[in-house]
Amino acid sequence: MSIITSIASVTMLAQTARTAVPYVLASQGGVWSERSGVVNVALEGMMLAGGLASVAVAHDHGPALGIVAALAVGAALGALHAIITEWGRIDAIVSGVAINIVALGGTRVVMRALYQSSSNSPSMTGFEAYGGGIVGRVVFDPLFAAALGAVVATAVALRVTRFGLRVRACGEGPRAARAAGIAVVRTRVIAVAIGGALAALGGAALAYDEHQFQSGMSGGRGFIALAAVVLSGWRAGRAAALCVVFAALDALQVVLQGHARALQDMVQMLPFIAALLALALLSRNRGHAGAPPAGLGTNATE
Amino acid sequence: MAVALRALSVDKRYGPTLAVSGASLALETGKIHAIVGENGAGKSTLASIATGLVRPDEGHVEVFGERLSPHTARAAIARGVGIVQQHFRLIDALSVLDNAMLGAEPVRSFGRIDREGARVKLERALAQLRAKLDPNARVSTLGVGDRQRLEIARVLFCEARVIVLDEPTAVLTPEDAHALYVTLRRLADDGRAIAVVTHKMDEVLDHADEVTVMRRGRVVSTRAVYRDGGRASNRGEQRRALLHDAFHDSDEASSVALPGAGDGDSQVLLEIDGLEAGVLQGARLEVRAREIVGLAGVDGNGQRELVDVLAGLREPSKGAVHAHAPIEIVHDDRQRRGLVLAASVADNAVLGELRRFSGVIGLDGGAIRNEAERRVHDGGVVPASIDLPASALSGGNQQKLVIARALARDDAGRRILVLAQPTRGVDINAARQIHRRIVDAAEAGAAVLVLSADLDELRVLCHRIVVITHGRMVGEALRDARGQWDESATNEKLGARMVAAR
Amino acid sequence: MSARTATRLALEADIWTIAAGTAVAQIAFATLVWLYGDSPRAMTMLMVEGTWGSAYGIGQVMFKATPLLFTGLAVHVGLRAGLFNVGAEGQLAVASLAVGAIGAWLPASTPALVAVPLLVVVAGCVGASWAAPAALLRAVGAHEVISTILLNRVAAALVGLLLGLGLAQKGAVRTPDVVPHARLARLDRLIPSFEGSAVSTAVLIGVATVAITLWILPRSRAGREQELVAKNDEACFVEGIPVAWRRAQALLVSGALAGLASLGTVLGYKGYYEQGLGAGAGFAGLAVAILGRGRLLGIVFAALLFGTLAQGGLAINAHVPAEVMEVIQGVVIVAVALGDARIRSWLTSKLVVLGAR
Repeated sequence: MSIITSIASVTMLAQTARTAVPYVLASQGGVWSERSGVVNVALEGMMLAGGLASVAVAHDHGPALGIVAALAVGAALGALHAIITEWGRIDAIVSGVAINIVALGGTRVVMRALYQSSSNSPSMTGFEAYGGGIVGRVVFDPLFAAALGAVVATAVALRVTRFGLRVRACGEGPRAARAAGIAVVRTRVIAVAIGGALAALGGAALAYDEHQFQSGMSGGRGFIALAAVVLSGWRAGRAAALCVVFAALDALQVVLQGHARALQDMVQMLPFIAALLALALLSRNRGHAGAPPAGLGTNATE
Repeated sequence: MAVALRALSVDKRYGPTLAVSGASLALETGKIHAIVGENGAGKSTLASIATGLVRPDEGHVEVFGERLSPHTARAAIARGVGIVQQHFRLIDALSVLDNAMLGAEPVRSFGRIDREGARVKLERALAQLRAKLDPNARVSTLGVGDRQRLEIARVLFCEARVIVLDEPTAVLTPEDAHALYVTLRRLADDGRAIAVVTHKMDEVLDHADEVTVMRRGRVVSTRAVYRDGGRASNRGEQRRALLHDAFHDSDEASSVALPGAGDGDSQVLLEIDGLEAGVLQGARLEVRAREIVGLAGVDGNGQRELVDVLAGLREPSKGAVHAHAPIEIVHDDRQRRGLVLAASVADNAVLGELRRFSGVIGLDGGAIRNEAERRVHDGGVVPASIDLPASALSGGNQQKLVIARALARDDAGRRILVLAQPTRGVDINAARQIHRRIVDAAEAGAAVLVLSADLDELRVLCHRIVVITHGRMVGEALRDARGQWDESATNEKLGARMVAAR
Repeated sequence: MSARTATRLALEADIWTIAAGTAVAQIAFATLVWLYGDSPRAMTMLMVEGTWGSAYGIGQVMFKATPLLFTGLAVHVGLRAGLFNVGAEGQLAVASLAVGAIGAWLPASTPALVAVPLLVVVAGCVGASWAAPAALLRAVGAHEVISTILLNRVAAALVGLLLGLGLAQKGAVRTPDVVPHARLARLDRLIPSFEGSAVSTAVLIGVATVAITLWILPRSRAGREQELVAKNDEACFVEGIPVAWRRAQALLVSGALAGLASLGTVLGYKGYYEQGLGAGAGFAGLAVAILGRGRLLGIVFAALLFGTLAQGGLAINAHVPAEVMEVIQGVVIVAVALGDARIRSWLTSKLVVLGAR
């Protein structure tokens, strides 16, 4: 097949949807965290932790429990990140980078302990494919539904529920929120835990798709998801949409398999270059609709 | 009349400073209780303690007879205690309704907010204030008066029975201030206990039923205020008694020597000509050498834009500024624009001037230290240690440092000095020292422009006062040949101009 | 209170922090080993034997520490200007490729006095240019953590691409050997007991670079202003300090220093560049910067510490996976950052009390 027909095909569409799931989930995780005021560069590490946890548990106990494990691990990491940042008064970026480092090394350590290999885990089956063909595989995947659900749930919860309002208040005006009697630290911890769980779920989706966990398999997706959050003005729906765009570029790699090696190297760079370009072009002057939450980066106790 | 809120012998320490010591307070329902004292007397801290925002180190607070425990804002709000603070606690990015119900949101199933129910509650609260606000408007679009109304509505939304207001009239014109007190009286008559923290004695005498006077963290006295025409209601006597308690041996209006009559023939150093920028519209002003001009206005009428243009931080859309001497600016927000709090006093003393101290082999550390020490000494900054972080200085000393830096920049007396709110949040001794330095700078040949919302300060300090409102200079008050202000310059009249219609 | 007292107090605070950070590393190591089912004592002894127990081991520790000196310094230069350069990985990868390629392309007879300084300049410039996009993006408001990490990924792919496109030797995935005089001498030529160890004069260059940079920074206007910008950029801007430019400068210098990390691996060790050479030095550099407190001895100590962990990791790899060291890096970062806030407020209150006398 020529390059053009490879790209403009149903396969590409389905592949994009499949690739987008981890990105979208991680981006929603980023939205929860950052809207509450906690910068979260640890989405990458949370994805890794979730991926490994889900595979390790699913191997013996089935895919559903694997998901539960991922959610638990992600929530724990998220809560840890928020606690270190708020209670320890550390810059959220330092905490986030540290969590990424620990997650990368830690997953390899755990894999060595479990499987005697620090690079690959044994294969496992994810959720059974229900429909036929590549489109069916995607549409009937519970994780695909989860990704869609996460976007809707995040957007709705933030706007309509009491908890959502409080999360936004903590992000836009932590001091005012505190004066109104809201437990800012607790709200942030919960919000970041939700975020971590979603990011970890994204990692699980990635691992289930590959039917194994590989060291460092998140491959920078967590950072692209974060870039999507920032570029979309911290809005759930738009972040997800941007993620689909990045995912499309990522999907090109798979769809163009079999073409020249050099082309593949270039394509590998595409999502990251696209994200950088987007940051360059869209960072300026976004008015208050696209601005970061006013309390982003300030500790609740300041 | 019941005692709604009682603070019993509370102490609060911040580092080495004792902000409040052994202070007691009793707020009765149906009454307006004023808490007065000079800047730094501990009034705001006491108010914060009474409303649960700050935990006292000693002593406790009782609400309707029951101890406030845990001592948190949340618990206080649940008991019906609300505070309207000086720096509003509103979230700009959220709507009026969101801000009003924050913390007390009515909910339906699944944690969904009952927006309709909340709207009704808000309307009821606003009705009590005789105010109208669009529940869906973003708070960022509201002006100062509306923001304050929203703050009060928020407190009423939570069904507060005790309302404490911290310096509520600091940002209001005399007319709006009067309207506020009418509202407060109505709320008190409804059975609430109202407390107002203020440093304006006239307000106390006009509107309060009781007053607690604080000085240096201690409660000096608690008195009733009489207006019924009986023997105790002599206003002058009550005023003197209050001033005595609050200031002991000094008059409220600081006694800085009046600047000499402005030299009418001296050169005009600063000309502002038809300046337009943001709120500012067609502003005109001239300041001569050795003249101190006051720009009186409530925040938000163009002062920020004016200072930004003078500082070169903003381009005017029309008009121009002609400066015939170097301009030094002391901004109104010393913590954000004036100082790098985490850096040393030395670094702050020469902030932005490192080029002067650059030699061939790098910076001359010794010269920097010498210059910093000189400025700290000249400015009267205490403690005089230049290695301390600037955050360790009190507000007054921080301000003295910023002013010392501005004044040290050009040795020749001939320059333009612009000071925005130079004594905001500064204790009275430091304020006096700052006024002294301003007067000295003028006498040495500077053209001085002081922007302030404090009319008393301007009347003491300036040769003439110009009022700014809605971005225009709308009126002027001058001293006569004997140095007395003419009749048009009472606070009420100046204040009225501050809110004159366009 | 004199300036000397203030300096002494700051030094005390830093020493405590470094000691605490090291203790945390040891505790983390012991805990992880224990979790793995091995004896911490036995593993520690194995590690010490494999590192400081022999001259070869010491040499290897110094070899592993060499790139960390540069990346640690690079991250520090960024941090003191309020910037997080997490892109040292990418910067050093691209710089290493450039050094390898140009080092091989020079005429074979190029004398050392020309080749080495030239390649140093190449390393610095390429490293800086890889940080340049992040500097530009920061100037328009995009945080450098995201952009530098994205650039890391681009670098990884770019390096592979360029090697594939012709920079590599035929039939290999590495650049051809650099010209003989471009190589940095191994220290075992001067001190025979280091025999076989890969440590080279690059370590000396590293220490010198750290010393010189740390000496210049507080004495230069740019360096002082960068620190002030990190603490309150609005006040600096209002007083005429060129905030955006100072930030950009710091990122560029940081990138250049990260690029210099290629000296030890390419010129001092392999003599060529292959994909993956020097990986890991970027993140470890973050740990070195945070533990090193911006002091010469601190950074050297921290680099040696993490170099020891890296080399020791190899020694115990049969029992406990070497990746444990990465986990320790992360833990140390958090521990030191946690302690830093506490120690800073302790220091401030001490200064206030002394200053009031």
